[in-house]
Amino acid sequence: MSALIDDRQKELMGMGVARLRKEDARFIQGKGNYVDDIKLPGMVHMDIVRASVAHARIKRINKEAALKVPGVIAVLTADDLKPLKLHWMPTLAGDVQAVLADEKVHFQMQEVAVVIAEDRYSAADGVEAVEVEYDELPAVVNPFDALKADAPVLREDLAGKTEGAHGKRYHPNHIFTWEAGDKAAADAAFASAAVTVKQEMFYPRVHPCPLETCGCVASFDPVRGELTTWMTSQAPHVVRTVVSMLSGIPESKVRIISPDIGGGFGNKVPIYPGYVCAIVASIVLGRPVKWVEDRIENLSSTGFARDYHMTGELAATADGKILALRTQVYADHGAFDACADPTKFPAGMFHICSGSYDIGAAHCRVDGVYTNKAPGGVAYRCSFRVTEAVYLIERMVDVLAQKLNMDKAEIRAKNFIRREQFPYKSAFGFEYDSGDYHTALKKVLDAVDYKALRAEQAAKRADPKCPTLMGIGVVTFTEVVGAGPSKICDILGVGMFDSCEIRVHPTGSAIARMGTITQGQGHETTYAQIIATEIGIPSEVIQVEEGDTSTAPYGLGTYGSRSIPVAGAAIAMASRKIHAKAKKIAAHLLEVSEADLDWEIDRFKLRGRDDKFKTMKDIAWAAYHAPPEGMEPGLEAVYYYDPPNFTFPFGAYLCVVDIDKGTGETHVRRFYALDDCGTRINPMIIEGQIHGGLTEGYAVAMGQLLSFDAQGNIQGNTLMDYFLPTSAETPKWETDFTVTPSPHHPIGAKGVAESPHVGSIPTFTSAVVDAFAHLGVTHMNMPHTAFRVWKQLKQLGIAG
Amino acid sequence: MEFKLVKQYKVAASVDAAWQLLTNVPEVAGCMPGAQISEQLDATHYKGNVRVKVGPAVAAFAGDIEVLALDPATRTLRMLGKGADKGGSSASMDLTAIVAAADDGGSTLNGQANVIINGKFAQFGGRMMVSVSDVLLGQFAATFSDKARALEDARPSAGSAPASTGHAEPASTTVTPSDAPPLPAPAPRAAAAAPAARELNLLSLVWAILRGWIMGLFGRKA
Repeated sequence: MSALIDDRQKELMGMGVARLRKEDARFIQGKGNYVDDIKLPGMVHMDIVRASVAHARIKRINKEAALKVPGVIAVLTADDLKPLKLHWMPTLAGDVQAVLADEKVHFQMQEVAVVIAEDRYSAADGVEAVEVEYDELPAVVNPFDALKADAPVLREDLAGKTEGAHGKRYHPNHIFTWEAGDKAAADAAFASAAVTVKQEMFYPRVHPCPLETCGCVASFDPVRGELTTWMTSQAPHVVRTVVSMLSGIPESKVRIISPDIGGGFGNKVPIYPGYVCAIVASIVLGRPVKWVEDRIENLSSTGFARDYHMTGELAATADGKILALRTQVYADHGAFDACADPTKFPAGMFHICSGSYDIGAAHCRVDGVYTNKAPGGVAYRCSFRVTEAVYLIERMVDVLAQKLNMDKAEIRAKNFIRREQFPYKSAFGFEYDSGDYHTALKKVLDAVDYKALRAEQAAKRADPKCPTLMGIGVVTFTEVVGAGPSKICDILGVGMFDSCEIRVHPTGSAIARMGTITQGQGHETTYAQIIATEIGIPSEVIQVEEGDTSTAPYGLGTYGSRSIPVAGAAIAMASRKIHAKAKKIAAHLLEVSEADLDWEIDRFKLRGRDDKFKTMKDIAWAAYHAPPEGMEPGLEAVYYYDPPNFTFPFGAYLCVVDIDKGTGETHVRRFYALDDCGTRINPMIIEGQIHGGLTEGYAVAMGQLLSFDAQGNIQGNTLMDYFLPTSAETPKWETDFTVTPSPHHPIGAKGVAESPHVGSIPTFTSAVVDAFAHLGVTHMNMPHTAFRVWKQLKQLGIAG
Repeated sequence: MEFKLVKQYKVAASVDAAWQLLTNVPEVAGCMPGAQISEQLDATHYKGNVRVKVGPAVAAFAGDIEVLALDPATRTLRMLGKGADKGGSSASMDLTAIVAAADDGGSTLNGQANVIINGKFAQFGGRMMVSVSDVLLGQFAATFSDKARALEDARPSAGSAPASTGHAEPASTTVTPSDAPPLPAPAPRAAAAAPAARELNLLSLVWAILRGWIMGLFGRKA
């Protein structure tokens, strides 16, 4: 009997099983279907003329030579888009952005003109032939210079506007001030605290750099008046709404398709000028237009992440109990505010910056500022600005520990929100759903033998001949993901719910569609596992389809770890609707009362009778063949899930580094990552997500940087400079987990893909700084490249 | 990007010949590979251009030169150059050049320049800029030395200038690998005064830089 149950479980491949990724069969055979794989009859190609300087007036654009290049069909500039009122477009953050530079360029590599040609080569030749004359203006590349009284005004289109989308602007280059928490309470706590610490830190500008760059194929059918666009978008439904609003084409005639996507990491959330120009060109020419950017364009002009200049302060008792937190951030948003955050949160969820700690009073303030840099501020493998928030609090706790000469693990345990305090209301107003931080930290410390590591470190510090500095980084983070409850979270007014539609076919297989879109997360595999467990159909016969707005129900897309917290919940709830209907059919077929039925894996059975049952397969047939009298035939359900709260995954990470005293080279000796994402759907995919997130965290902490010179020239926008770790550089990861389900989520799952990124970055910094802690160093800015670490060694007189 | 250059080169001619050459802006410009003065606007203002060739693509910088000061007492030239090409790069240079007598009867050319590069070159060329300018200036100095020497030889009173034993900056006399396109050769010494507005060929430049880098790896001065 139990053997039979095991067999049925095995066939089901439901939640908790390390089911192999269904999508890999096509990916490893080169059979994926990405935007650049799409070729349509009559398709033409678009390439973009980009600004060579960061800030200038455009004196003249000469298209003549470009139009003479064989194969070039058209060259469009802002003046050509003006009659259509498409030379500017709204951003997701309530600002406007130039589609093509209108009289002025605001950042280097800004879109100035587009060239449409018969083939990609001619388009590139055409771009080379377009002559743009500039009248250069002084460039501003950091928010402090931008806010000086005599700073050049960057956004002349906003001249005189003292009110922005998020309240008062106090300077022509100021975008918004956003505050959370209770300033008076925090100030009072600071005034009377025994100990206070303050630390400035800079979270540099980085870029998600997905393997596939952004692009689209726009195809307007002039006869039907229908627009179909294949696009690298993490949120195709939102794009459809925006395209309809901008173009005036009814939303029912706009179809956005996100095919296979080669990584997004937030980079594919915004709507870029390239998409708009390709769509306009297709409408004007009546031919399909393909635009795919190259790597340099991707790194230079599409959604960057971070660029937060942060100052943190903690107030505490003499024995290390944190009483209050204050923080001020200057956020460099670039030339246009094109952040992709829920509309009411211009600094995203930065107010999660009280972290895993029970802090009585807290206040944070973020000032967004315009500079002559590319627009963006996307959530690079994290929920909105959560990476910045976690970095701030974890760094500050380390700084406090050093000031008090306390152990970095001990001070965390002392300040944790305790298990019995959940649901916990933070000083910033979040209601943390569940957590067990003490257990997680203890498990990690035991696994690595933390005491022995500290003893080894002490011995090495005492030995002047030791060739390395040893550092131990400890981080205990809490994320806020799954945006979000539509009463507070929306994008352009559309609530941030998500959706699922399931159709069970007569023979017992099923198709399910969601408003999200996988970019490597493995939705086709994991979503099917949820349905398999919920309704008893083997995951192998459940087809998961996403990304086509003409077939999938409306959803807000995949970013901010919202797929499982929001769409995953919609899947469970849609499944439960089917389950409820199936139970009625089963009762009818077995001629018993519903109350006498028990559910077991794939069937309803009469309580206590293993031989009296109806499987879901039987029920599906009956639903189409002989439903109970008065019941609507078929077995389908749609569910739009509006989450009651966010979810709060957490983890405890520990990293050991050895830094060469002569070269500054940092060797990651050990990295131990314990994650708690609540209910685990597919342990293998979780493991893969954690490896990926840790690797991207390593990339950010140790090497990634988009830097600019004083004139606004972007430095290092190729993979020659921009660090993308391969297996050669990547450290070995050790992973672990605890399970603390979310009480408000239908299956208790919290989301996992971003935790390892959010958690690992401060862990690396913590480890590197810890190596220098006994020498009085409290913070070092990322990236911790050998050269920068060597400079610290040199400054301390350690390196020769 | 902005960077400072401080350079010193030997000139195989007397200080007077070197100064005479330095005051002749079109001649000095002609020492730069690919550069020439196209028009003199007035006593201190010139228009010029530089052609740069990368493989099949040719970029043409057009710009203005202004002589800010020319002081015979200290043999100092100060000039400001600004230029841009249609493909989206621009550069400006604030240069101070001084010639001074050397112990061996020859002279030295001391240059200090503040250079600002914008646009594509600044994006992609940042890491190469110092090496590129080393090679370029090496070529410039070699041609300058040749022209000064030619001036000296042409003088009736040409006296005790040192034997022209080649150029102080070895990068300018490098032997290119035989399968590589030759460097824009320094002008033949005798015909040094001929203005040679050749294209600056970046491919050969790459060879010179690569060679310098490899030599550096083995601890030898390139």
